[in-house]
Amino acid sequence: MSELFWFEKYRPRSFDEVVDLEEVKARLRQFVKAGNMPHLLFYGPPGTGKTTMALVLARELYGEYWRENTLELNASDERGINVIRERVKEFARTAPVGKAPFKLVILDEADNMTSDAQQALRRIMEIYAQNTRFILLANYVSGIIEPIQSRTVMIRFSPLPKEAVFARLRYIAENEGVKVSDDALEAIYEFTQGDMRRAINALQIAATVSKAVTEEVVAKALGMVSPRLLRETLYEAVKGSFGKAATQIYGFVADGGVGELEIIKQIHREMLRLDVQEYVKPEIAYIIAEAHYAILRGAHGLTQIYGALAKVRRLLKSV
Amino acid sequence: MALPWIEKYRPKSFAEIVNQEEAKYTLASWICLKFRAPKEFCTRWAKKRDKEVAEAKAILLAGPPGVGKTTLVHALAREIRYELIELNASDVRTADRLRQVIGRGLRESSLFGFEGKMVLFDEVDGLHVKEDKGGLEEIIEIIETAKIPIIMTANNPYDPKFRPLRDISLVVNLKRLSEEEVVEVLRRICTSEGAKCEEEALRSIAKSSMGDLRAAINDLQMYLSGGRRILTLDDIKRVGERNPQLSMFEILDRVYKARWFDEARAVSFNPSFDWEQYFIWALESIPVVYKDLEIASTAYDRLSKADVFMGRIKRTQEWELLPYALELALGGVSQIKGKPRLPPFIKYGFPQRLLLLAKSKEARRRRDALVEYLAQNLHASKSVIKSEIIYVLSALSKNNQSIIEKLSKALGINAIDIKSVL
Repeated sequence: MSELFWFEKYRPRSFDEVVDLEEVKARLRQFVKAGNMPHLLFYGPPGTGKTTMALVLARELYGEYWRENTLELNASDERGINVIRERVKEFARTAPVGKAPFKLVILDEADNMTSDAQQALRRIMEIYAQNTRFILLANYVSGIIEPIQSRTVMIRFSPLPKEAVFARLRYIAENEGVKVSDDALEAIYEFTQGDMRRAINALQIAATVSKAVTEEVVAKALGMVSPRLLRETLYEAVKGSFGKAATQIYGFVADGGVGELEIIKQIHREMLRLDVQEYVKPEIAYIIAEAHYAILRGAHGLTQIYGALAKVRRLLKSV
Repeated sequence: MALPWIEKYRPKSFAEIVNQEEAKYTLASWICLKFRAPKEFCTRWAKKRDKEVAEAKAILLAGPPGVGKTTLVHALAREIRYELIELNASDVRTADRLRQVIGRGLRESSLFGFEGKMVLFDEVDGLHVKEDKGGLEEIIEIIETAKIPIIMTANNPYDPKFRPLRDISLVVNLKRLSEEEVVEVLRRICTSEGAKCEEEALRSIAKSSMGDLRAAINDLQMYLSGGRRILTLDDIKRVGERNPQLSMFEILDRVYKARWFDEARAVSFNPSFDWEQYFIWALESIPVVYKDLEIASTAYDRLSKADVFMGRIKRTQEWELLPYALELALGGVSQIKGKPRLPPFIKYGFPQRLLLLAKSKEARRRRDALVEYLAQNLHASKSVIKSEIIYVLSALSKNNQSIIEKLSKALGINAIDIKSVL
């Protein structure tokens, strides 16, 4: 099954395969070398390598016995207070398999665990420290109670830089016999903002449309407007012929099948990149925000988009 | 087997515990006044003779994480050679289970030449309302009847539900350690590990641990892992510090002094950014930063629009609107036409709203307890009690002191306090 999904098929199995994250890799390698480590808390946005790093660490520590010595609980598993008190505690108190120095518990999306379940973890992490180490993965560190933060080394994962994402996507494309253009990679990055998992998924979806992945193919596959095309349209709307811009936007919806909500989100991203005075940007943000909210509450999408663009045009004229 | 350093370097004796002298004296005095303990231990540590220490039925150790609450109890048990029966949040703590464990523990005789037994209810603030049904009441019952030392720990013992527990215990507060004290411990560990650690590097670790010794030791282990023998400030800068917490003052400063819209917006990506707090602080900081009425009114307008969006998000759960709210609250307050050049140092005041809330906390707690009691007994919602019934009660109690006394008895709040609420 995992072969079916590229993000799983190409999930790195060793530190060498992991792109970017050099400092994190260096630290974790030291832990493997020492055969000792503190409890860890990996935090940062989705798709930045937290789960991958935890699993790579498990493989590097235990080799062929990595499954036996690792308990991985993710968001789909029941992780209430009882599971912590029973299943996790039971796993933590038993001896590791083979010559492993300790076992590993990986708790994915730990920031979604209830405060009570986290409370139950506190002393388990200390009492069974001789046997077991914990790696907690979280999107938001604020979702982890302070006593748990105190018991871990906190390692921050940031959105991956463009070059790292491009390198990985090119590698996957080559292996899968897919041609991917530079502007397609740009469009994927624009859509996924440094989230490697979403980027790989986007590439895979685009590759089902065509083996030659271009910006247009990416846009079509992901139900978005080509960023380049949208940029031109927005420029037309605020500086050139408003009628022409409106026709193009209508085309995105009617012919391209792009949803109005997706268009307003893209407009939001692009508008804030306009070369205008900084003090105008909050006004632009507010205009788009009102349109977005109106669409969510059931207003007619195209009407709201045209209205927002007309207001932005008027605003820019006045300054 | 290799231990994490927080376990390897956990203090084993009272003397090794850093700078919690007051807590150590209180705990030792209580043990020596009420129970059996070695003479040399009592001579050294039992420095208090206060009535409240002698009369305390149990001790509740309170304080932030990593200051040594649990360690203190384990060290105490070791020093006075008591067997420690520990129940923490990882244990089921229903009334039945507590009776079973404590009962069995007290019945069985101690092995290995222990002088006695003591009970530690660790992390009592981790008691689960549903899963640990009756646990709190049972702990109170055990405290009232047991003839052995009962000690509890908590991060936040001031939760209203722990009031009955506080009433029969002596709350002993452990304080956050100073930067200097943390550095001292880290220095000792470096020596023990045969590592040469730059003073500035240790100071940096201590600073970002904010008085949490356990966090600091954890971080030191990370920096020195794999047998590294040298630690410099550069190593720490390269890897990055523990969750770089920003104070509200620093957050405001970054927002107001941002040169670009994106720079102001990016403040929300900091792990310590809390938008509810930010709104309160921003609201009162605008007139401090912007003396020009026109500019201040634009900032208020943007903040109010952001607030409207926050309200919409809460009401509709449409979290995709959050970026707009943050852009208006951060970039909107920061980027304003005609904004003056700001001075390098701006004196942001602590929000009056928060000061007032802090001042009225106790009164609000009493009022909430009263509302809760009335709601349960009058088959009415809390909002009805607050908006109607409390005024009826206030009028009735003016001419009838016995109503106040009845409520006082039922709630365990003194009559004068109830009057002040009404």
